[in-house]
Amino acid sequence: MPKNKRILSVIFSAAVFLVLEIAAFAMLNNSGRFQSLWFSRIGHKVMANVWGNSESIKDYFGLKEKNQELMVKNFQLSEELRAYKEKYGLPDVTASDDDFSYLLAGIIKISRNSQHNYIIIDKGYEDGVTPQSGLITDKGVVGIINSVESHYSFALSLMNTAVSVSARIGRDGGTGPLVWDGKRSNGATLKEIPLHFKFEVGDTVWTSGYSAIFPKDIPLGIIDGSKIINGAINECSVTLFEDFKSLKYVTVVTNTGRDEILSLENSDIIED
Amino acid sequence: MKTEHYFLTFFILTVAQILVCNYLNLSHYITLSFLPLLVLCIPIRYGTIPSMLVAFAAGLSVDIFSEGIIGLNALALVPVAALRIPIIRAVFGTGLLARGEDLSVEKHGLLKISTAILISQSIFLVLYIWADGAGMRTFAFNLLKFLCSLGAGFVLSIFILFSIFSNIKESKWK
Repeated sequence: MPKNKRILSVIFSAAVFLVLEIAAFAMLNNSGRFQSLWFSRIGHKVMANVWGNSESIKDYFGLKEKNQELMVKNFQLSEELRAYKEKYGLPDVTASDDDFSYLLAGIIKISRNSQHNYIIIDKGYEDGVTPQSGLITDKGVVGIINSVESHYSFALSLMNTAVSVSARIGRDGGTGPLVWDGKRSNGATLKEIPLHFKFEVGDTVWTSGYSAIFPKDIPLGIIDGSKIINGAINECSVTLFEDFKSLKYVTVVTNTGRDEILSLENSDIIED
Repeated sequence: MKTEHYFLTFFILTVAQILVCNYLNLSHYITLSFLPLLVLCIPIRYGTIPSMLVAFAAGLSVDIFSEGIIGLNALALVPVAALRIPIIRAVFGTGLLARGEDLSVEKHGLLKISTAILISQSIFLVLYIWADGAGMRTFAFNLLKFLCSLGAGFVLSIFILFSIFSNIKESKWK
């Protein structure tokens, strides 16, 4: 028998088989009380599985939208919490300085594979972003805005060897510049810590607030090791809380008093 | 066995099966059926589709006239007809199919015939017991019912085979 004819014959046989079996099932469903219940139960189970799976797929494709909503909600709640803590003078106020404003932004593009990584965000000067604004998340510092367009901004990532952030060990420990270690997506080095400041592995590293870019007391990471450089200073290895591999949203933090600070720095009094 | 004789025998045995279902209730654990044998013995020259139609008709007749659940025998018997050719090919080899030869105890041996009957009966009983139980019975009950029914059905099928279908002089050669 030719191959095509055989295939057609098999398909036709299968079709007849299905028709006869479906007919038998239908008759069984109508004539037997238990069989009717059985079919109904099987039907419900199948439908539950089908609907459950289709809902799961639908939910999966709706995750991006949900994430966006949650991030906006989270940002609003953080802002409210910050305002309450400021109002009632509660301790542990993150970014308690009135001089900072905050703006939620999504990441359009992020590079992670070079020594000079960058981030492009979906907010620009029309949204209030200015150069030298900071990028943070609830897990730490992400980068610094370098240039601004109307709707987009270009930032140097903390995973960029040209970026350093003023950081402090513990609440009142030694302060020094924190730079990316150039190896890990969540690794950094805290430099120039004087020897007389004591610390231990596991201590938290915070922003010091000694710059016009970031508010103080933003948690950055924990110390996972240290070494003495030239017998004069300590250099600490830091594991950052923020892992750049999973970054989707950031908060742009802008120092509203930055112009005054710069003006003071550039004034004749200082120059003299 | 000539074709017209076969279908007459098929008809009479189907009526016999209806009578067995109505009047010979041995136990809850035994479903006495020789319908798989009838399907297995449909002349080889009839392909799968006619076999399935005949099986469906026979199963439905038994369902309707034996006060059972309509569709149960038909549901279990159609797959036996659908798998009839593969079963014959697996047990007797391709030679029998190529020659268009009908099954015969004397020609093919009791062992092979018994194997084919057991496979057909098993397919039929698995589906029958599964659909009859409708998920209400335990696995142990179904297994016991399957084994008892297989044994009883096999003995009855062999008896029918020897007494009615077995006739070497009438086996067809092409």
